[in-house]
Amino acid sequence: MGVTILLSYPVPENKTGPQTVDLLIKRIGALGAVQSGQFLVDCETFSSGPTMGGPPRTVHVLHNSEQPAAVFALLESPGPPPKTVPLVADGLFDLLMLKMSSIYASKKQTRMEARGTRFEIADFLVKIGTVTMSSNFKGVLVEVEYRPCFIAGNCWELMREFMQSFLGSVVQNTPPPYFQVHNRLNDVYQPLDTIQQYLDHFASYRKVAGL
Amino acid sequence: MSTNSTSIAMEAPVEMQIQEIAFDGQETYAPSLSMSENLTKLAQKIDFAKCGPEEVNKEITEIDRNEDEAEQSTAPPLWPWDSVRNKLRNALTEVSVLSDLLTIAKGKKYVVLDPVPQDPPEPKPAMMMVWARKKSFAGAASVLFSGAERLKNSLIEAQKNRSTTADFHIELLRLRQNFRLKKVNNTIIGDLSYYRSSGSKHFHRGTFEVTKSEDEPDKLLSPPCSPNPNSANKLTSALRVTVPGELQGIASIKVYFQKDQDSLCSSNLNTPDTAFSIPEIDWQRKLEVAQNVLFCKEIFNQLAKEAVQLQSPIPHVVVGNQILASIFPGVQLVICLSHMEMSTDGKASLPPPIPRHDQVLEHTLHQLLRELHEKNAHYLLPHPASAPLGPSRKRSCAGPYAMDREEFVEMTESQTMLEQVIQQAQHTQLRDRTLCILDKLATQYKDPLISVHWLWLNSPTYACIKVTIFAQGYDEIYRNLVIIHVHDTYLKCISRDGKVVQLSYESMELKNYILCQICRHQIMAVQYLAKAMGWQCVANSFNLGSGTLVETFGNASSCILVSPVGDRLISIHCDQNSRVQVSVAQTPRKDFFPGQLVKERKWENLGNSFKEVQWEKMIGKNFLGKMELLMTSLTSSWMQ
Repeated sequence: MGVTILLSYPVPENKTGPQTVDLLIKRIGALGAVQSGQFLVDCETFSSGPTMGGPPRTVHVLHNSEQPAAVFALLESPGPPPKTVPLVADGLFDLLMLKMSSIYASKKQTRMEARGTRFEIADFLVKIGTVTMSSNFKGVLVEVEYRPCFIAGNCWELMREFMQSFLGSVVQNTPPPYFQVHNRLNDVYQPLDTIQQYLDHFASYRKVAGL
Repeated sequence: MSTNSTSIAMEAPVEMQIQEIAFDGQETYAPSLSMSENLTKLAQKIDFAKCGPEEVNKEITEIDRNEDEAEQSTAPPLWPWDSVRNKLRNALTEVSVLSDLLTIAKGKKYVVLDPVPQDPPEPKPAMMMVWARKKSFAGAASVLFSGAERLKNSLIEAQKNRSTTADFHIELLRLRQNFRLKKVNNTIIGDLSYYRSSGSKHFHRGTFEVTKSEDEPDKLLSPPCSPNPNSANKLTSALRVTVPGELQGIASIKVYFQKDQDSLCSSNLNTPDTAFSIPEIDWQRKLEVAQNVLFCKEIFNQLAKEAVQLQSPIPHVVVGNQILASIFPGVQLVICLSHMEMSTDGKASLPPPIPRHDQVLEHTLHQLLRELHEKNAHYLLPHPASAPLGPSRKRSCAGPYAMDREEFVEMTESQTMLEQVIQQAQHTQLRDRTLCILDKLATQYKDPLISVHWLWLNSPTYACIKVTIFAQGYDEIYRNLVIIHVHDTYLKCISRDGKVVQLSYESMELKNYILCQICRHQIMAVQYLAKAMGWQCVANSFNLGSGTLVETFGNASSCILVSPVGDRLISIHCDQNSRVQVSVAQTPRKDFFPGQLVKERKWENLGNSFKEVQWEKMIGKNFLGKMELLMTSLTSSWMQ
């Protein structure tokens, strides 16, 4: 699992989502990328009912096709202090959530998905995906992974240069906000970090009303 | 009649009974009975038992109740309900008497109830119990005693006979500790096969029969009691083990390499002189040998199946009891099942001696089959216990550890037994070849010394070598290192400057590579030596090629050094056979004469042509020693 940077590519005014995706695919193809399958990251949200007592807590259950056997769950409890508890579990966790449907109710309309194609170029892995929330298009997410390195601080410059080569000026010169807190640039990168980045982006997409 | 009589008033008694007298004296009379009521009352007073003449002779008391019953039973039944009426009447009498008695006893004036004194309980005869117990104990003790007598007698007998024969049942017990036995009708059948009991999928009826040996007790042996190999085994056995025909004899898997031959297989004829007789062995070893035969057959079957199914560039050949698999072009791995069968007269025929049988690979085959068995039979308990039972531990942890798709693909890849054996055989061959080449080079080259160090941490398909090239006495100045990773079909060489080269199994490639490294070492060492002495390197070239020489191995390289003052130049050329040509030049030229084209004096600084040094006549232990001497002599001033 290498360092992964997730970027939200803004759709230009005069273009639609699929057109943007095609443009990016063409650019990355020009760099010599080889298509190698599809990918899917989805997120389902469960909210705790009144039986639990206290302020309602949310559980986000995410799946990543890159780690097919794992299910990621993030519990956000707003009670002071607000904290997020992450969990990496086996596939049986989905069944566990089904059993707890009386306590944690699933909000079906907020199910978000990022789906698209994955490309391999040398040591990089690029995934260009469209984000949809119950079949409504929300945006375009680009995920770039540099496989040999697992400390973000060591390869940020390299990745920035690579991303700027096909994404242009969308890429900022400073690391994304996820890496700037808690000294994450010098920590060993985990698959959970990818999932948390996805969750942050999904949350921001949810706030954007009606697209 | 007197005149003083008193008149007496006579009045009838009160006809109505007084029911109640009120507190004010008012009397309440019970209503008088009517005629029918009166009659009923009078009738009730009649005791019907008294009707008839018998009544006169008896007294109606409780004690005569029995008589009543007896008399009543003999009296002819007057009407059908007679007996019922009699019985009811008697019951009524009894109950009436009882109620009268209780009423009177309640008054406590005429009859008083006294408790009936209880009889004291009969004292248990204590002595009786003791005697009874003693008797029962004596009975049990006698049974046990007789059993103990019997055991003692048999033990004495066994002690007397211990030196000669062992008891059949004791032997059977020992046999049962090691092998599975069951009794079928009247015979005892044992099972030698691995099928289903330890995860084998190969079905073979490996049954043997156990019988008593009564007629020839001298020939059969029983296994030694202690594992001490020095104790002589003199015991004869009471049981005989009959092993099925196809499992008799001694079998083993022979693995060896052979160069490509034109014929597919060859056989040798044996003369009777080579026969020998297998000595009689005890039943434990006999059964072990038979089981080994079964195991070897299973190995060979499995390998033959895989050899037919596997696709490889040069197909594997299965002929008779041999499997030929080609490892490298020109080298074949031969796996053969050698089974020394017993002939009818007890003598066995020896198979032809196999040249250079590789025991390590044979052991590998045994281990691989056992691994296969264990994978089939042995299930890991998953944590938590509710998880599915099948997957391996790595697969169960795949979820919580968030494993990638590549790791999954790696997990699903598995190799068959034959592939694994071929891989190990390839590695063995490649390692041997590498060893030969390096040894030959090390003995051949004395000027830069080659030292080879094999890392002790290795696996059946991987080894690592560290080759150091250095000059004797100058190893602190410069030392060239090459790390060689030996895999199964290729070598990976990493040189000191970080270049990674992948070489194939051809041994000449490795020789070429090492010679290039030697050449490189010479020039690099000279440069470092020059730096230590103050000389500068102005030009070098490492890949000059081999030119028009016939030999195509190795490389030539050269460099040019200039003295600290700047007046001497040394040019060194090192070719692939480690021959060096050293030439020296001097600036300014001594023999400069301005000619037509070159007029000015300053051109004398360009330096004249190089003059070759007679290197054999130089004093010095090795190339670097000689170079050191040369540089020293050129630096010092009196050589001007």
